[in-house]
Amino acid sequence: MFPDNGAYMVAAYVVAAVVVLAYAASLLVRLRKHR
Amino acid sequence: MRASAFIDAVLAIAGKDLAIEWRTKTAFASSLVFAILVLSILFVARDASVVSALDAAPGALWVTFTFAAMVGMNRAFLLERENRALEGLLLTPVPPAGIFVGKVVANLAFVAAIELLAIPLFIVFYDVPLWQRLPELLAVMALATFAFVPVGTLLGAMVVRTRFAELMGPLLLLPFLVPPIIGAVQVTAGILSGRPLSAYTGWLSLLGLFDLVFVTVSILLFDAILDR
Amino acid sequence: MTERAIPQLARRGTVIAMLGLAGLAAVYVRALMFTPIERVQGPAQKIFYLHAPAAWSGLIAFLVTGLFSLLYLIMKDRRLDRLAAASAEVGLAFGVVMLTTGPIWGKPIWGTWWTWDARLTSTLFIFLLFVGYFVLRNAVTDPDTRAAYSSVIGVLALALVPFIHVSVYWFRTLHPTPVVLKPDEPSLPSVMLVTLLASFLVFTVLYVGFTMQRYALAALRDAELEDALDVSG
Repeated sequence: MFPDNGAYMVAAYVVAAVVVLAYAASLLVRLRKHR
Repeated sequence: MRASAFIDAVLAIAGKDLAIEWRTKTAFASSLVFAILVLSILFVARDASVVSALDAAPGALWVTFTFAAMVGMNRAFLLERENRALEGLLLTPVPPAGIFVGKVVANLAFVAAIELLAIPLFIVFYDVPLWQRLPELLAVMALATFAFVPVGTLLGAMVVRTRFAELMGPLLLLPFLVPPIIGAVQVTAGILSGRPLSAYTGWLSLLGLFDLVFVTVSILLFDAILDR
Repeated sequence: MTERAIPQLARRGTVIAMLGLAGLAAVYVRALMFTPIERVQGPAQKIFYLHAPAAWSGLIAFLVTGLFSLLYLIMKDRRLDRLAAASAEVGLAFGVVMLTTGPIWGKPIWGTWWTWDARLTSTLFIFLLFVGYFVLRNAVTDPDTRAAYSSVIGVLALALVPFIHVSVYWFRTLHPTPVVLKPDEPSLPSVMLVTLLASFLVFTVLYVGFTMQRYALAALRDAELEDALDVSG
């Protein structure tokens, strides 16, 4: 059996998604202000 | 401009800076006191039962040198902020590279003085066997100091016009100190442990290459930061 | 660029970024549900499918910033500086991904949150140089001075990173730190390799889209600033 470190995997995947989505959103918001 | 005239100009600018500093000695005294304090703090900032003075010494020495240098290099372009003196300098036939090299020479002299005065204190505080191998240490000091002073001078020219210059200068310079400090500490540790310099040709070559690259790049980039 | 070119660039960048996000979702699904768990390292190994591509995109961003900083210094076209800055901000974002996923991966796999190996340390310093780049940039108001100063930092940083890499690598080979589960670059079975490559592709697409958007944003802001100056001047 493999080591029980799934929690780390989840944490990393969540953090990465949050950062990428937050940045994408910030770009959209800032662009929208200039329409 | 002829080479000899260039050198004369460089020395004139360096001499002017150092003469101005010598009159008040404010930056010099501050840097020196700073160096003494940092050396002392780093001595006590360890668990002495685990970390011997000899182990802590190389790192302490180089942190002291670089931090004191950062404090001292701030003043280089502050001088020219008054009365827009830099523009006056630029009106002379001296090429901008000459002004920059003059500033670098002044900074090198300043930092070298601090380092040389700090050495005896270092030997005394940390009780390290250094007297016999002083020339080798001086060689390493020269190599490493040449590594960060040109870049520090260039960055100083940029941040002098910004609001938090004393903070921004170190912030920008610190990454550039990493390779020289790593190399200098390794070689210094070897010197203090009695190993010959020949064991460190790799690190010394790296330091030398770093010097070459950054002295050249700094001189070339200085032109870009002057607004014409 | 012409009047209509900037909004068009913004639109296209947004489309590419959205495609990248969709691709990211697909990579997530594939990595989490359709890629087998590595036996020695366990589920945490899958973090690698995000960490490595993020570091890769961060590196690309850094190289672009450095290159276009150099080009600006040669050609003095402010659009080059604009691209360098746009790339730097995107690089900062990917840097955050890399610097967060790295320790989260390191703790179960290496046993420590951080390891001072050459690659990680170099990318950390790239991140710090980017931060310094923006601190300086925000402290200067005149656009031409700001472009010149930023470009100087960009070029200096480009020259610095190889030295950081080598010196940390040599430092590390002298002082190797003990490791719990040492993953020695396993040759990945094709299933995992495909996931990894797909992720690299997705992160590259995200980089391109985000940089286009960020460039367009900077262009719009500069245009607005010039209009304001024209009206008042």
